[in-house]
Amino acid sequence: MALDPQLTAMVVPLAEVARIEEVLSRLVDETGGTHSLLLDKSGQVVASHGDANRQDTTALGALIAGTFASSREVAKLLHEKEFKVLFQQGVRENLFIALIGEQWILTMIFNKETHIGLVKVLVKKASEELLDVLGRVRQNRRMRDDVLGGNFHTSMEDTIDLLFRD
Amino acid sequence: MALINVAAHEIHCKIVYYGPGMCGKTTNLQYIHSQIPQAAKTDLLSIATETERTLFFDFLPLDLGKVRGFQTRFHLYTVPGQVLYDRTRVAVLSGADGVVFVADSRRDKLEENVNSLKELARNVQKMGKRFQAFPLVLQYNKRDLSTALPVPIMDKYLNPLHWTRCEASALHGTGVFDTLRVISKLVISKL
Repeated sequence: MALDPQLTAMVVPLAEVARIEEVLSRLVDETGGTHSLLLDKSGQVVASHGDANRQDTTALGALIAGTFASSREVAKLLHEKEFKVLFQQGVRENLFIALIGEQWILTMIFNKETHIGLVKVLVKKASEELLDVLGRVRQNRRMRDDVLGGNFHTSMEDTIDLLFRD
Repeated sequence: MALINVAAHEIHCKIVYYGPGMCGKTTNLQYIHSQIPQAAKTDLLSIATETERTLFFDFLPLDLGKVRGFQTRFHLYTVPGQVLYDRTRVAVLSGADGVVFVADSRRDKLEENVNSLKELARNVQKMGKRFQAFPLVLQYNKRDLSTALPVPIMDKYLNPLHWTRCEASALHGTGVFDTLRVISKLVISKL
C-alpha cells in the first residue's frame, strides 16, 4: 500500500516502536554487527540499536538517507526503478543498507568479524518484519491531536517565537 | 514527512533551503549555526567542493527542547544551487516538510530565480504533493546590495501565489531568523 502523499506526519505508536527495537536488537545479536538503524527516507532516525557510545546517529541518518536518495536518481538514469540494497565497504567497518517499502531505510553497521552473506540473509528477514510494522503504521489513523494534545500548536508557536529571533 | 515517535516522545521535521546558485542558502545555515548557544551546539555538516560550493547538501539539526513533553527537532538542509545538480536537489528534497526558497535580489539574477522556482514546483509535484498547498516561504536575500531589485518587481515574478516573504541579508544575519520562524510555524501548523 502506498503512503498518501498529502499526509504530513507519520505517527509511530508505542507498541510499534517496541516491535522495531526488538527487530533491530535481534539483528545486531544474530549478525554480531555493531549497530543497526532504522531511518525514514527523509533522514530522520526512527530507532537505533547497538553501540551506546555512538553520538552521531543524527548525522549518520542524514547522510545515509542522502546516499540512498542519490542512488535512486542514479537508478532512474539507468532505467531501474531503484536499488533495493547498497553495500559500502571500509577497512574496518561496513555498511549494508536496505530499502523498506519505499519509506524506511534499514542500515546495518558491521566489521570484518561478520560475514556479509549472513548480514544479507538476516537483513532480508528483518526487512520483511519491518515491512509489516510499516504497513500497520500506515494504517494508523490516530488523530495528531490525540498524540500531541490540543494545545501543542500554541505551545510550539510560543517556543518558536522565543527561540527564533534576531 | 514529519515523524512523530510516540515511544521516544520525539517530533522530527525537515526543512529544505532551495534556490539558485550563490543565493545564500548555505550562508543562512551558517548564520543560524553561529547563533546557537554553546550548550546546544550541534555540527553543521557540509558536503562541499574544494571551492566551498555545496556539492550535495548542508545539514544542521536544531533542537528546540521539549514542547508539551515532546522533544522537537528541526533538520535544516540546503540543496546545491547550480543548474547541473537537478537530480541531487530531488534527492535532498525527498521527505521535506517545508521549503525556504532563497531568491537572490540582484538585478541580473531574476531569471535564475524564476527558473529555480519553476524547477522546485516540478520537483515538489514529482513527490506527489500539490505545490500550491506545500509549506513554502520566500526569502529575498541580499537586500543590502545596491543592485537589489525593488521588492514589488520581485513579487511580480516570484510571488504569484502570495507566500509569506521575508527580506534578508543572510551574510549579516538580517531576516534569517524571521524566515526560519515563519517556515517553522507553517510546518508545525500542518502536523
